[in-house]
Amino acid sequence: MHYIWKEWKESIRGKGLWLSLSIIILISVSILFSSSVLSFDKGFYVLLINLFDTLIYFIPISCIFIGAFSIFQEKEQKTLIMLLTKKDSYPGFLFKKSLALSSVVLFPIVAWFFIYLFLLKFYFQIDFSSYSIFVVSIVCLALIFLQLGVALGSICRSRMQMTGSAICIWFYFFFLHDFVLLSILPDVTYDNVKWFSVAFFLNPLQAIRMFLETGMGVYSFGHMSRLLQSFLWVKPGFFLAGNLIAWLAISFLTAIFFHRKEAFE
Amino acid sequence: MKKKLLLLFFFSLVSFSVPEKKWAAESLQVAIDSAKEGAVLTLADHTYKGNIVITKKIEIIGSAHTVIQGDGNGNVISIKAPHVKLSHLTVTHSSMNRNSAEEYAGIKIYSNGNTIDHITISDCFHGIYLSQAHHNTISFNNINGMGNGEIAAQGNGLHVYYANNNTLTHNRIEGTRDGMFFEYANHNSIIANTISGTRYGLHYMYSDANDFEKNVFTMNMGGAAVMNSNSIRMKNNQFVFNYGNRSFGLLLLQANHINIEDNLFYLNERGLYIDQSTGNIIRHNRIIQNQIGIELWASSSQQLFTLNRISENTIPAVTLGGKGTDNSWSLHGKGNDWGSTFPLPDLNQNGIGDFPITYRSSLHQLMEGQELTPLFLKSPAIKIYEKINALLQKEDIMFTDPHPLVTGKGNSIPALFLVCTALFAAVILLKGRQWLCIIFGKNGRNR
Repeated sequence: MHYIWKEWKESIRGKGLWLSLSIIILISVSILFSSSVLSFDKGFYVLLINLFDTLIYFIPISCIFIGAFSIFQEKEQKTLIMLLTKKDSYPGFLFKKSLALSSVVLFPIVAWFFIYLFLLKFYFQIDFSSYSIFVVSIVCLALIFLQLGVALGSICRSRMQMTGSAICIWFYFFFLHDFVLLSILPDVTYDNVKWFSVAFFLNPLQAIRMFLETGMGVYSFGHMSRLLQSFLWVKPGFFLAGNLIAWLAISFLTAIFFHRKEAFE
Repeated sequence: MKKKLLLLFFFSLVSFSVPEKKWAAESLQVAIDSAKEGAVLTLADHTYKGNIVITKKIEIIGSAHTVIQGDGNGNVISIKAPHVKLSHLTVTHSSMNRNSAEEYAGIKIYSNGNTIDHITISDCFHGIYLSQAHHNTISFNNINGMGNGEIAAQGNGLHVYYANNNTLTHNRIEGTRDGMFFEYANHNSIIANTISGTRYGLHYMYSDANDFEKNVFTMNMGGAAVMNSNSIRMKNNQFVFNYGNRSFGLLLLQANHINIEDNLFYLNERGLYIDQSTGNIIRHNRIIQNQIGIELWASSSQQLFTLNRISENTIPAVTLGGKGTDNSWSLHGKGNDWGSTFPLPDLNQNGIGDFPITYRSSLHQLMEGQELTPLFLKSPAIKIYEKINALLQKEDIMFTDPHPLVTGKGNSIPALFLVCTALFAAVILLKGRQWLCIIFGKNGRNR
């Protein structure tokens, strides 16, 4: 608990969390105003999809930076050494730190989207289950990229190295992963489509988007061909769960095995 | 004494409630049969048992809680006489049998000149079925299907079969197989209906010369599928958020001489999907924020696109299956407004861009050969893929608009990015060269 309290105090004194949150608020409010002309009953879904499509430009990169700098700060201020010599092992520290970081970042985001729901009520007919799916999607997105940031913060030795790596990770998930898949797309057949599917849903952005759009019932997979059925061999919720577990585990293990306790200015 | 009173109360409750229901069940058909030609029957807030067959000109008016409940073995209400009027009723529980010789409905109309309005229909195979019925007015009805993408086990909201000169207006259909189904039905007016959550909002075959105006097709697997038909007018309709791997706003398949004007195609997987069609005019529509604005197969010819606003689509237009013949992207020197997709100078300020635009793309090869391609249309990687293929000269010309329009209108997304960028820039300027470190580390302390 004191990790959460420590993280909270550090975060409210810092500006990263507030800047990220203010961007989320700014985007949500602008999209709400621009969507107010949409129909009362269906406009809600249009707004959520548009909002998600815009937020994925900001939340991943913000979360990578917040996660990475939070760990790096522990190294830089030598508090990491103090904590480790006191009682914690590195995995123990990393687990508690990740938990604290996730709580501190996710709490204001979830709180904002709770307030946002009240604003939405003035414009649209609310579908609470769809809204919960939207919030879960945002939480998963933040969680995965926070943990990737934590791994970066553990591995990197300097701020420059860390900033460069954060941008590389963002670029990979945003552009490179799908680009590679697009390049091999002509060779996808019924026999290998399941492997392709695994690779496709390994991108958190695609797994979360598919979960959101099918969960809200806006993306229809009706009349699927054999190829498409084979591509979607489990429900999108399972793909997301797999993706979440895979990336949290990979980030955590990478951070443990390749961490460096020292940092250079 | 108390026990006796309680017993008396119970028996009186039973004896009064059950016969009344029975009376309601039996008496509606009797009342209809015994009414005079042209009589008006006003029904109370009861549940009346069907099925009902109307064989004379009559008007039946219900109220807020008047329910006509079928026995599940046929049509709940069959109208076999002309000039019948039904209003303010809830109709429920028709047969759902798919193996019978007849397809059943909540209300099945076999005659002409009837008026059906303010009816709520649920738990029925088809909602309202017009079978060789002409000059009917179907308006302000609410038809609810099973939803959840159920297709085979249920019928259509409005089923129009060999029926001409009908007016279908202000109906609301949700969760049925197809919202409105037309087969061999000509000269009908379909105005201001709202259809959502169906397979095709409009499924339209072998029907000519119908007018569609101000209808809204939202969140269907396909907005409207117009097939094997000619000379239809589609004006001021909205095709919004018909979104899925195979979805479209409007499909024209072997549909010729269709006039598509002033419609909105917004957030669909494909705005317009045109295949094996000839001589259609697509004018003054807004085709915005779709994954593919226009998907035009080479088997289509003589399509005319003019004065449309086609902007913010991932792919504005794509030609598949080879080069189409005689398709035209401008008329009388006026092309289409491509918004921010193709920024153009207009130095003489005549509203027409100073040079033609040609859109090249390599995605058509992927789209023709691989059905998983639409899954990537929202990915930012698409832009990189296109750029790299442009460098490798693997692109083909999708269309050339010789006279693109320049309206100078901005859009909201760049404005939003501008605001966010300005915010970031302000933070950088205020906090100096190590802004990133100060923001994300050091507890916000300046060094």
